[in-house]
Amino acid sequence: MPESIPASLIIDTLKDTFREARKELAAEVAEPPQHSHLGWILSVPDTHQKTVLAALDKEEQIRVLTCATEDEAATIAGGLYIGGEPVVLMIQHAGLYASVNTLRGVAMDGRIPTFYMIGLLSREKDKAPRESRHSMVRYCEPLLDTFGIPHATLEGPDDVHYIPEYYRLSRQRKGPAVVLVGLETA
Amino acid sequence: MAPEAKAHDAQTHDAKPHDANPHDANPMKPEEVLRLIAAQRGTAICVPTMTTGPEWRAIAPDDLSVGCVGFMGGASSLGLGLALARPDRRVLVLDGDGSLLMQLGSLATIAGAAPRNLVHFLFKNGVYHTSGAQGIPGGLVVDFVTMARGAGYRAALAVHDVEDFKKQLPEILKMEGPVFVELHTGLAAQTPMTARGGVPFPEQVTKLRAKLLRPRATT
Repeated sequence: MPESIPASLIIDTLKDTFREARKELAAEVAEPPQHSHLGWILSVPDTHQKTVLAALDKEEQIRVLTCATEDEAATIAGGLYIGGEPVVLMIQHAGLYASVNTLRGVAMDGRIPTFYMIGLLSREKDKAPRESRHSMVRYCEPLLDTFGIPHATLEGPDDVHYIPEYYRLSRQRKGPAVVLVGLETA
Repeated sequence: MAPEAKAHDAQTHDAKPHDANPHDANPMKPEEVLRLIAAQRGTAICVPTMTTGPEWRAIAPDDLSVGCVGFMGGASSLGLGLALARPDRRVLVLDGDGSLLMQLGSLATIAGAAPRNLVHFLFKNGVYHTSGAQGIPGGLVVDFVTMARGAGYRAALAVHDVEDFKKQLPEILKMEGPVFVELHTGLAAQTPMTARGGVPFPEQVTKLRAKLLRPRATT
């Protein structure tokens, strides 16, 4: 298993994902929002993705909003979606557990496309997340399965294609889709 | 006097929970306040929640609104997302005190994002009206104006009297946001439990999105 995923690779992938989202929206609607940025990252800081978050601070094409809670992040994402803005949530597994009701109410019942990148802090490199000795890692995939939320896991740089794929999937399904970040970014 | 500089009556910190402000002997009727907002909101997007929902539905049944339904506490964040996406429009959040307490951190998040087009109205009645009027933690003593100011809203004020609100509202709707307005109101005649129905949340989302973005198929 690789040691890490370069932050720059993730950011470039996010930019491409946002560009594609804006292009698709422009084809669908007469009045897409006109902004100089490509899209939004709504973050409640995650240790696993900290190098991405640090690098995003220097990015002018991506707006980053740090939220106080994951409930807020998911709900703000809903407002941005209604207004036509591309959004990615970057949180960690503990935040997923903390915000399950909002995930249900906004993304699922509200049928709002919501794409999450969720860091699996403390995930052991030699174990599948479901076999982790840490409950916060172990319960993540089963929780997503319980809610019927599609998910994939980044296990190395070759997996970043999941980011645009699951972003598109959230749009197609009109609900949540998740990419779990299974190892630290660098 | 600028609205932000007036009308904020600091509560004493030794007041007992659920003590009402003396000004609240005759609290404003929420329906009356909502009608005043509806008459002056222009093309603003509105985000009602809980007890502001049923009356808003009656006043503005087919407009640029989306109710926070099924995720109590989310109105302020939903409004923030809309305000950031559409800086060309005003966004008016019609929040409740019990609701805001559920996502109190949103005050700091909104202040940090500093949307100039957001007005955050708080209908303060001291209770969770929808679930049976149980008192909120701290009751009417909780000072949301101080919290909003401390979080970093550009302006925060309290209004106790409907005539005062009538006078201040035009200016409030022009102020650079984020603006916080604590409205001391009584209980609404209806709640989402006594006046069920309305357009389901996902349909509200679809309709508002279509109004804002105008899908090509309908143009």
